[in-house]
Amino acid sequence: MATTQYEFAGFEITETLTGDWQRAWIAFLRVLTGWYFFHAGVTKIMTDGFNYTYGPIYLRTEMGDTVLGPLAVWMGNNLAWLVKPGVPLFETLIGLGLLFGVLTRLAAVGGVFFMTMFFVGNGAFAHGMFNSDLMTLLLFLTMIVFAAGRYWGLDAIIEQTAFVERHPRLRYLLG
Amino acid sequence: MKFHEMETVDKAAVLLSTGLMFLGIVVLGVIETFDGRAHVPATVEQTNQAGEVVATYTPTIDPNIRVGLVVAGIAVLLVYGLYKLVQPAPEAEQPATTDTTA
Repeated sequence: MATTQYEFAGFEITETLTGDWQRAWIAFLRVLTGWYFFHAGVTKIMTDGFNYTYGPIYLRTEMGDTVLGPLAVWMGNNLAWLVKPGVPLFETLIGLGLLFGVLTRLAAVGGVFFMTMFFVGNGAFAHGMFNSDLMTLLLFLTMIVFAAGRYWGLDAIIEQTAFVERHPRLRYLLG
Repeated sequence: MKFHEMETVDKAAVLLSTGLMFLGIVVLGVIETFDGRAHVPATVEQTNQAGEVVATYTPTIDPNIRVGLVVAGIAVLLVYGLYKLVQPAPEAEQPATTDTTA
């Protein structure tokens, strides 16, 4: 595996994938996945504001008989105050994080949580188990594994800051 | 870092998480395809014009089991991520320290 170093906005960036195509494709996947969630979140805000009432209903009904049923029903009954504004807000923030490559891994963890709930709750297996929910879930996991924010994302710069140098564990949430 | 150079906990996380998901999606998928409902691996009720259920098709393997295995794999990754967060600083995570040949 080759290492590539270049200067960007005054910072020396080091990348570890093998070529331009690989880096570009990781960044491309990150941006498209980010757009998917940003679009899902911001359109909910445009329609319902920060009061997505279907969220708790989905947890109580669609997910009631699934393997995550007890957790989902509990969330629907007790965390409705968080779910209603949280769904559009966090979808939008997760999307922005991936679009710009900021706190990419943390954002992708949020995406994994959302997509796990969708994959389990929708149970859309009419064309097999490997459906679009599962593919999107795997995309978010890929963002985490590849530290996709380091490729043409702002995390590549943020990781060079003195604050992150002093707190290197933050690289598990950045990158 | 090559696989055999990884620490035991890293190897366990990789093998367990991907293994659980592989089992749920692929291995049980193969069984379902050749011994169950190849196209729709879920319970489907067929109704007549009056809306009465006239036939129920059930897969060989309950989809909840397969979904549960996928969720278990993700849960392993979540636990592993939390474990890494409380571990000492990740020096090896810095992008500057990598192999130099393809």
